[in-house]
Amino acid sequence: MQSAECKVQSAECKVQSVEQTARQICLAVRFQMPSALRSARSRSIMHFALCTLHFALCTVLFQSSTHAQSTRDTIAVVQPKVVKIFGAGGIKSLASHGTGFFVSKEGHIATTWSHVLDADQVRVVLSDGRRYLARVLGAEPQLALAVLKLNSEEGAEFPFFNPDEAVSAGTGTRVLGFSNMFNVAAGDEPVSVVHGVIAAKTIIEARRGVFDSPYSGPVFVVDGVTNNSGAAGGVLTTRDGMLLGMIGLELRNAKTNTWMNYAIPVKELSSPIQQIISGKFERKKDPNEDEPSLKPRRYKPLDFGFLMVPDVVERTPAFIDSIQAASAAAKVGLRPDDLVLFINDELIQSCRALQDAIGRLESGDQLRLVVRRGNELVNVEIPVPRKKD
Amino acid sequence: MMKRLVLIALMCLSATVGVQPAFAWQSTAQQLEELEERAFKQAVSQVAPSLVRIETVGGLDQVQNFLLGNGPTTGVVVSADGYVISSSFNFLSKPASILVTTTDGKRLAAKAIANDTVRMLTLLKVEADGLVPARPTAKPSIRVGQWAIAVGRALDANSPNVSVGIVSAVNRVWGKAIQTDAKISPVNYGGALVDVDGSVMGVLVPLSPQDNSPVAGVEWYDSGIGFAIPLVDVLATLDRLKQGKDLRPGLAGFNFSSTDMFGGDTKIDRVRYDSPMYRAGFKDGDLIVELDGHKVTRPAQVRHVLGSKIEGDKLAIAIKRGDETKQADLTLVDELPPFEAGFLGVLPTREKIGSGPPTVDEGVGVRWVYPDSPASKIGLKPRDRIVKFRDQTLTSAAQLIDQVSRVRPSEKTVIVIRRDGKEQSLEATLVGYPEDLPKDLPTSAIESVAETEPKASDERKVDGSEKPRTGRFGEEVAESKNAWWAFVPESYNPAYAYSLLVWLHPPGDTLEATVYDSWKTEAERRGIVLLGLKAANVGPGWQANEAEFVHETVVSFQKKYSIDAGRVVLHGYDKSGPFATHLAFKHRDLFRGLLLAASAVSERPPENLPEYRLQFQLICGSKDPAHPILERMANSLRGIKYPANFTSLSDLEHRYPNADGVDAMARWIDSLDRL
Repeated sequence: MQSAECKVQSAECKVQSVEQTARQICLAVRFQMPSALRSARSRSIMHFALCTLHFALCTVLFQSSTHAQSTRDTIAVVQPKVVKIFGAGGIKSLASHGTGFFVSKEGHIATTWSHVLDADQVRVVLSDGRRYLARVLGAEPQLALAVLKLNSEEGAEFPFFNPDEAVSAGTGTRVLGFSNMFNVAAGDEPVSVVHGVIAAKTIIEARRGVFDSPYSGPVFVVDGVTNNSGAAGGVLTTRDGMLLGMIGLELRNAKTNTWMNYAIPVKELSSPIQQIISGKFERKKDPNEDEPSLKPRRYKPLDFGFLMVPDVVERTPAFIDSIQAASAAAKVGLRPDDLVLFINDELIQSCRALQDAIGRLESGDQLRLVVRRGNELVNVEIPVPRKKD
Repeated sequence: MMKRLVLIALMCLSATVGVQPAFAWQSTAQQLEELEERAFKQAVSQVAPSLVRIETVGGLDQVQNFLLGNGPTTGVVVSADGYVISSSFNFLSKPASILVTTTDGKRLAAKAIANDTVRMLTLLKVEADGLVPARPTAKPSIRVGQWAIAVGRALDANSPNVSVGIVSAVNRVWGKAIQTDAKISPVNYGGALVDVDGSVMGVLVPLSPQDNSPVAGVEWYDSGIGFAIPLVDVLATLDRLKQGKDLRPGLAGFNFSSTDMFGGDTKIDRVRYDSPMYRAGFKDGDLIVELDGHKVTRPAQVRHVLGSKIEGDKLAIAIKRGDETKQADLTLVDELPPFEAGFLGVLPTREKIGSGPPTVDEGVGVRWVYPDSPASKIGLKPRDRIVKFRDQTLTSAAQLIDQVSRVRPSEKTVIVIRRDGKEQSLEATLVGYPEDLPKDLPTSAIESVAETEPKASDERKVDGSEKPRTGRFGEEVAESKNAWWAFVPESYNPAYAYSLLVWLHPPGDTLEATVYDSWKTEAERRGIVLLGLKAANVGPGWQANEAEFVHETVVSFQKKYSIDAGRVVLHGYDKSGPFATHLAFKHRDLFRGLLLAASAVSERPPENLPEYRLQFQLICGSKDPAHPILERMANSLRGIKYPANFTSLSDLEHRYPNADGVDAMARWIDSLDRL
């Protein structure tokens, strides 16, 4: 054991110097690329050099870790960590199956908080066909997260992902999705694997009704079809098996009217997972819970001295109809027929959206407007007047 | 330099060779994957400055029952001075305002300049300079199987969204598009399909080979079937789009005899009057052999060449006429003069079906001659036989109708007739279709079954097949919750072709008894089969999704009874008019007459086409508030050269036509095979 560590240490020293050389070569390669491309021969030499280099780096760097290297290896390493979950559901369009992944060697499983878990006990089937009962240890519905504990034999150990080691990755990174979508994997069959790239990293904002999702926060959007029935709770990994995210529930994006394929970054989930496992978890208060759902609109356009055109259809454009003489709106030079495009950087797509945005203002705020007048965009700013409640 | 690299590489190899030599192959595979991934990211960063984010304000929330999103979309910069091309899908809502955000975060007001309705693109203009135009990929270098990266800006304000796939095909959707298996959807419509070198192969759009409606192809989003219009093609038409005029499909002005796109030949059925083809001297019956240097033998190949053409484009065409070959360079147009069939003024004799093969010189009998028509002017009389028209020997009335429709009004033509066993040649000048109905139209004789068929038992015919039902009967259709009733003349004789009147009731009342009572006598006299269809819910009336039930029921009646395909009429009254109109325009191959009582034509009529003859009758009471509207509408239908009759019923309010009205409608139906 000790001698192995020594080997690693000396290897690491080597790596550092090799890494430096590699950087130089990469730079050289980049600058030389166009001329190098001119000849196939030099290209193959270049390729050989790069491959060899990379091989050298990888073999040395990763020999101490369990991370796989090729996609095929990754799949072999990841699949045993992903499990099939069976619970409530099975009526109408509600599936009674889901996916989860081990987050401890003792048999803790992270999965999506969904109706599947709405049973006293759920059944978990491992990739090798072993079957266990499990119970829900804790859940954080706001993160769509639940942690299960397997009812396993004393001393049993399972291959697992350490959520603290979850990584992030940029747009265009190749990824693999692992899940039991449509319950295709049966018994001792490992879950299905799909591939794709990260299409975007963006933020889901559930509150505006754009997404019908309990989860608000950053997500990885994937260009593969990862989010199918039963796929939620599966994992998204990099090509070399690093944990990126947990595949979310099926979700429709109302902005585009399309189904989204996405995963919640495990980085967002790792501390609640650890807290649930250690029994120290306390649910955060939902910031929206305090707010009454139907808050009266505090301000209206007339408070600033302008009137909107009649709101007749779903998306009536927010044209100003008239301006009151000597009002704040008149002072900043707003005119009838100006089209309001932004209020405090929020795109205003309709009269209704304008009424909502103005309604949310607080006294002391600034009302910043961008209006379209002909082909010009005009910026104006009006202080929000004080109002007695 | 090279030598040094190799040396370093070998050194690295030797340094690690003792550690894990067995996995060298994996490393190579991984290296390739990693290099590819890096290439994807670099390609995206290269194209990113040429992609803008588009936002819209106001507008419709649905089109054709299709829910429109209002999220951000994408456009591709095509010139430094502010021109941006995008998918027309992104502007289906007809927004009140369009905003463009450039890569450096600048927000600009945009104006939609023009649409390319062939490739489903929209050109935008913003007041800016110094934008970074996309670099186009040369078309020949786009190969099936190469990497294709779809890039949009819909998902995130700060960085583009990406999907990676390959080029699945080129020249798809009739030569218009590159196909890719990258995930194409509203998140990247209007964005770019990029080569790994960062050049732009095409602009992403929804498309469908079967359908050219603006939402066609959206149902394939994220399916692995996506399309992009080659950027070089966009740039080639950019100057024309900048003029602010929408680009429409380029028309040459012909149609094919064969309806089999993939199996038929390229023989021209008709060259349209005053079209580019007509002006270049091409004629009916010419065989197209070459287009733009491509040899063609099937209609589908022709469509492939023409599919991506727009008005103003050139078309090099070569045809064969007998042993002669003829070539021309056409300039395609966006509109042809409306087609107008000539009118001779004859109702042809309805011959008994299956009474032996037609003899070549038999010709077509004259049943009735319209007063004051060209036929009456040259002295045609009932029982004359027309044996030749435009030098064509005739064997059927359908053939004669087709031939007459090839002559334009005011054009002279030679007719050979036989009277009392002697042939004579006459010259007639055709006119347009008359507005008015013949006042007194004798019925066409139908012999009774007894005279034409040997006696058989009541329910079974001689050949053992079941005898079709006659009289009034009906049926419920369980699957669709619809129902129908029918009246087949008691004297029904399958040896004669009948008219089929398809009745669509207004909401709230099937009017079954009224329609049956009004029509029974005329149906018997004039050989009309009545088919009354019932909406699934009579109260609210017909819904768009019931079109299929109507179509299927009519087709099944056509199979069961002897029906003249040229006399199948849709009949709507009051609020069922719009549904009847919709069906008539949708199934032009099935319905040849649209009869609207106290109801207007509710959709813009399609172009009058020689291959789908469609005639109109609008009828209403003189006290009906809709009267002047319907009268004007009949006039405008005639303006686009449809045969259209308007019948005014004196002293009638807004209600179903009275006995005079039914008499007029029956005369109109009984003259639909006029020529």
